[in-house]
Formats: sequence, structure tokens, C-alpha cells
Amino acid sequence: MSKYGKIEVMAPAGSKEAMAAAIKAGADSVYFGVEQLNMRARQTNNFLLEDLPEVAKLCDENGVKSYITLNTIIYDHDISLMKKIVDGAKAAGITAVIASDLAVMNYCRKVGMELHISTQSNVTNIETIEMFSSYADVMVMARELTLKQVGDIVKQIEREDIRGPKGELVQIEIFAHGALCMAVSGKCYLSLHSDNASANRGACVQNCRFKYEVKDENGNELEIDNEYIMSAKDLCTIEFLDQILDAGVRVLKIEGRGRAADYVYTTTQCYREAVDSIQEGTYTPEKIAVWRERLSTVYNRGFWDGYYMGQKMGEWSKSYGSVATTRKIYIGKSMKYFEQVGVGEFRMDSHDIKKGDKVLIIGPTTGLVEAIAEEIRLDNGQVVEKAVKGDTITFKVSEKVRPSDKLYKVVSENA
Amino acid sequence: MPKLIHYRERCIGCNACVEIDYDHWRMSRKDGKAVLIGGIEKKGVFQLDVRPEDIETCKQVVKACPVRVIKLEGK
Ligand code: SF4
Repeated sequence: MSKYGKIEVMAPAGSKEAMAAAIKAGADSVYFGVEQLNMRARQTNNFLLEDLPEVAKLCDENGVKSYITLNTIIYDHDISLMKKIVDGAKAAGITAVIASDLAVMNYCRKVGMELHISTQSNVTNIETIEMFSSYADVMVMARELTLKQVGDIVKQIEREDIRGPKGELVQIEIFAHGALCMAVSGKCYLSLHSDNASANRGACVQNCRFKYEVKDENGNELEIDNEYIMSAKDLCTIEFLDQILDAGVRVLKIEGRGRAADYVYTTTQCYREAVDSIQEGTYTPEKIAVWRERLSTVYNRGFWDGYYMGQKMGEWSKSYGSVATTRKIYIGKSMKYFEQVGVGEFRMDSHDIKKGDKVLIIGPTTGLVEAIAEEIRLDNGQVVEKAVKGDTITFKVSEKVRPSDKLYKVVSENA
Repeated sequence: MPKLIHYRERCIGCNACVEIDYDHWRMSRKDGKAVLIGGIEKKGVFQLDVRPEDIETCKQVVKACPVRVIKLEGK
């Protein structure tokens, strides 16, 4: 073990596919929402209470910790569901609950469920950490702190010997990658004003991602170069991950419960590799360049360092959606897998596939498998350069894929 | 008769409908979701006939629901 001890890479799992992809990519832990009391309540993919035993089992078998996000504000009418979720999580063997409302913290302590403090609680100083330490073992720092501030906090935890309920020093977690809130996390009311959709109930409509014009009361318009006046770029820390670990951070969280399996797979894999190479002493600029390249192939709005390096202003994105350099197109479904020869059979549902195309196969159990369609065969055995919608085809796939897994081809965004 | 329709499964329990129209809506303390008072269930979707004079309020509720799970049908 290196000087850092154990570093945890925590991946988002907004769906079964994303969870399987995270596990496969080497995540140490996954986090996900259950029912409606989480910050991604809008997503239809949230897990249900009855899924918990299966999720816990899957994570357990793979040596991965499992966390439930229960981090909205809680009203009186939510209490009984909240308790049900905590009880269910405990019974199923879920590792911990991530919360920001004191009601959840209090209940977790009562029933002895491990608790982590959410970024929605805006922990920014040592006193707050001390207070929360009688409830929680792991705390996410507010995303607005600089790395120096985080480092100072870690030192004070050690100096003052602040321990969580498990008896270990409180562990500090930060966001390492993904979308940033334009406001101080958990304190944004834009969505509530414009659409009556409370971001703090997981219903954020992401007003900050839109273009804006700025006019005064007389209708004079302020000229601004970039109409995305408050759309923060995405955080990417792969280039200074060593400094983050030096600051004493032990848990690295990747944002993105609304993202697809390929995003989760790529981001988790890059951060896993980066952490491992820092620990082995092989963290080089060449490797960093490759990780950055790979990270830019999946959903992103352009990258910046976040607030960690101490810039005063946010860096605003210049585009609405993703600036990812590649995109996946759905082309068909998996039908069968011939284990002995390592060949998958697929039915083409749309577009086409050409020899040499890079493809992804994504499914709830499979997670994500990458392949290059080197030799495409039709069902009559004929080898072809190209197959189209309606064809049943086979090609080599190094790992098992399952019926109804989806087949995508990866295309360059500028193609 | 105009009808209020509630696709309850996707309700996130934000309380917005109750704030506007507590005659037709209340929060369930059991599962934290909204209840369309007197609504009749069919496969998880609840329906209720409403009086024409209540339509304006109902329209406000439809607009207020952040996840758009309330609909108003018929005039
Ligand atoms: S406004 Fe919509 S989401 Fe909110 S409680 Fe009512 S029905 Fe549910």
C-alpha cells in the first residue's frame, strides 16, 4: 500500500446498466437513488425499495460498497418513506446512506445505519465537521472549497482527532469529475422560480444551462460575448489528482447519475487507472493526456479545474449540450453469445455497421463491453464489409453479452 | 365533465399541488406522494371529475407540477 492508503473511487449508478458498468470499470463504490427522495428524482431510472437486496448482493459479490442517496430536503410527509428506505437499506446490507437533512441523519443514528454527509449540506469548515462527526464517518466537502482549504481541514481532523461513529478518523470526500452546480450546492432557487421545480427536491430543470440575454428595465440589452452566462463547465481533476490525494482526500466521487453506462464506464476507468498509477508512482503527463482524451469522448460541456485551484470566477461553458468528441448510435440488439468461439449474434434495427467500426454493447447485467467489428458475418455465413437494418450478423466479442443487450456504434462527433 | 388525471407513480412528493389546491390534493404520509382526493384508480393512474368552476385552479396545479404528472382533460 502506498503512502495514501486506500483510495476510494465512487461511481454514479443511475440505472442497472450504469451500475454494472461502474463495477466492471473498477469502482470501489457506487451511489444511487431510491424512490423519489434523492437529487435525481426526475430520472425515471431510480431504483425501487424492492431492488435493494439484489443491488446489495451484486455489490457485495464484487467487493463494491453501495450507497443510497437520500439527500433531498425532507418534509413531514416524507418521514415514513425516508424511514422505510433507511430500514430497507439496512436490512438489505447496503453500506451507507448519503444525506443532507438532519431528519435522515438522526434516524440513521437511531437505527445504526452508516451515514455520509452529502454535498447538499455544504460542509466548509472544521466546526461543522466536528458536529457531524457524531453522526457520519464520511463527509463530502462543498464543491466551492479550494484544495488548500480541503487540505487544511484534513490536517485539523488529524490534529483534533475527530472520529466518526465507526471510531475511525472522519474521511473527506470530494467531487472529482462531472457537472457542477452554478450556485453553492443546495442553495439554488432558479429552478423553483422559473418552473416551480425545486432543485432541492431533485427536480432541477437546469436553468443555468440555457442561453440568456441580459436587459435592463428600459429594454437596453447588455452585450455579452457568451450567452451561456451561468453554465459552468464540467469539473475534471485527472490532471492534478496527485495534489488532491496529497491534500488528504480519500474518496473521489464522480458525478453523473443521469448519465448513460458508457459515460460511467469511461470516467470510472480513467480515475481508477489514475489513482492506481499515482499509488504505483507511474502518474505521467503522457498518461494524463490519454485519460483526458478518453474523458472528452463521453458527455461533457468542456472541462475546467472547478474551484479547487482557487480561481475566483467560474468558467462558463460555451455550448448547451455536450461537447463530447464521440457519440453512440443505437444500431441493434444482441441475440445470442457463442461462448466457445467468443462470437456475438446481433439483429440490426437501424443504421448500418461497417468492418472496423467500434461498437459498444450495453445491458443491465453485461454493463458495457467494447469491441471492434473486425469480421462481420451474415447469418448465411457470408463475410461482408457492411451490414444494414434487418440483417442478422455475428462478429467477435471478447466477453459474454446477453440477449436484449443494446448494440451501439461509436462515431466521431465531427464525422 | 373535465377530469383531473394523476400519474402517481412518477410523483416526487414536492407538495406544490397541495399548496395551490388543498381541496383536491393532500400528501400521503405513507409513501410521501400526493393523493388526488376522491380519485378513482386504474392501473396506478388516478382520475377525478371536477366542477367547471374549479378548472382555473386545476390548470394552475397542472402548470405547477415540476414533473408534469398531473393532466386536465375535457372542457
Ligand atoms: S406537484 Fe406533482 S410531483 Fe409535486 S406532489 Fe403534486 S403531483 Fe407530486
